Amino acid sequence: MQCVDTTQLLKGVLDLAVLAVVGDEDGYGYDVLRRLRAGGLTEVGDASIYGTLRRLYGAGALTSYVVPSDEGPHRKYYGITPAGRDQLERQTKDWLTFSETVTDLLRTDSPDCPQGARS
Amino acid sequence: MTTTAPRRTTLEIAAFVDEVRTQLANLHPAERDELLDGLEADLTEQQADGAVRTDLGDPRAYAVELRLAAGLPEPTRRLPRLPRRARLQVPRMDSVERLLDCSHVLFRGAVDAQAWRRATWEVVTELRSAWWVARAWLLVTLLDVVAGHSEPVSVIPSLGHPLVGPAVFAVAVLVSVLVGLGRLWPGSGADRPVASRVALLVVNIVAVVTPLTFSIPNPGYINDNDPYADGSDPYSAGYRDAQLEGQAEARQPGLHVGAKEVTNVFVYGPGGQPLAGVQLFDQDGEPISVPSTSSTGRGLDRQVPCPSYNGTTPLFNVFPLDQVQLRRDYCTPETMGRNAPTLPLAEVPPLN
Repeated sequence: MQCVDTTQLLKGVLDLAVLAVVGDEDGYGYDVLRRLRAGGLTEVGDASIYGTLRRLYGAGALTSYVVPSDEGPHRKYYGITPAGRDQLERQTKDWLTFSETVTDLLRTDSPDCPQGARS
Repeated sequence: MTTTAPRRTTLEIAAFVDEVRTQLANLHPAERDELLDGLEADLTEQQADGAVRTDLGDPRAYAVELRLAAGLPEPTRRLPRLPRRARLQVPRMDSVERLLDCSHVLFRGAVDAQAWRRATWEVVTELRSAWWVARAWLLVTLLDVVAGHSEPVSVIPSLGHPLVGPAVFAVAVLVSVLVGLGRLWPGSGADRPVASRVALLVVNIVAVVTPLTFSIPNPGYINDNDPYADGSDPYSAGYRDAQLEGQAEARQPGLHVGAKEVTNVFVYGPGGQPLAGVQLFDQDGEPISVPSTSSTGRGLDRQVPCPSYNGTTPLFNVFPLDQVQLRRDYCTPETMGRNAPTLPLAEVPPLN
């Protein structure tokens, strides 16, 4: 889906998702993309992910190195930096708090929601 | 793993990448390469997988999305027409802010990389309060140096007035600490306005650089054991006195005994009687003269010496000199009203 609006919406969360994937294990562009898709982020365009990798690298949250290979092209791998790890931790906390707040808001707003019963 | 659309060949992938590259033509070549590095390989691999995407899509849209995600500027023809000043300011502020943020992130990254660096940084951050006080002192002292006379640098900047200095210094310390804590402008955290961050950075740099321009007074008095350190030893004292005398003489030519100016000489003979017309010479045969331009008193009380004359030559070494009262100028041969001066001592004891 090439919808630019979605890209704008997901931009903040995309940072978090990309950092989480790279933090888990270093990867090159398509590798990261594959893992994100496997994780369920199917709505985001490829270009957004590549661009995000580049932006995070530029901001110092990711580092990069080239791994030569005899068969096929050299791959540029991305890894997470300590600053990136800090950002990941911080943004994870923020996201969890935020999503909890929004979820609570939604639950109280619709009292007939099946999951709604709050104690 | 079924595909309904035909597989793209490597040629088509290459064409796609080329088109995207063209769309990114306004970027710096290095930036562009970084962005597209490995894209071709990735797309090829994607095709090999076949699972995710079979249609490459529109390269223009791809390029737009890539730019957006990477936070890069769009091609200029797509920029909305901003008023001239806004168009100049906005990108600059943005890049300055990014520079500050990037520098901060890089620095933290470098510090966090190793345990000893983290420990050192912890100690340094503990000294922040000392820096705030030092910053206030440096800036007030700079003000003192710039505004005042060339006083030596002192522990409490004086600002030319005994009460003003410490008061200003105390206020400066307070302000510096509050700014450092973030209670006062510009606040704390990463969402401070860029101009404030840059301004604070400039203030800090000025505070660090100014000590290099101070002239610290020679702390010789600190050294208790060195007898020559404070200049009170006989050698230094004598030298200093001679210097003063020499300076005094250079400023005021004439007759001095020590620092006292002599305007007339009264001579008494061995029997104690006052003598007149005495010609005085020093050990080199030079006349001991009162300068022709000497005077005492002002206005109606002004007295100038009148010389004796050898022909037309005035002699100021013949004592005691006559005096005349003149409001200005000096005694000439035509001047009327010259008198012999009053003897300071009517008589002196005769010598044996």
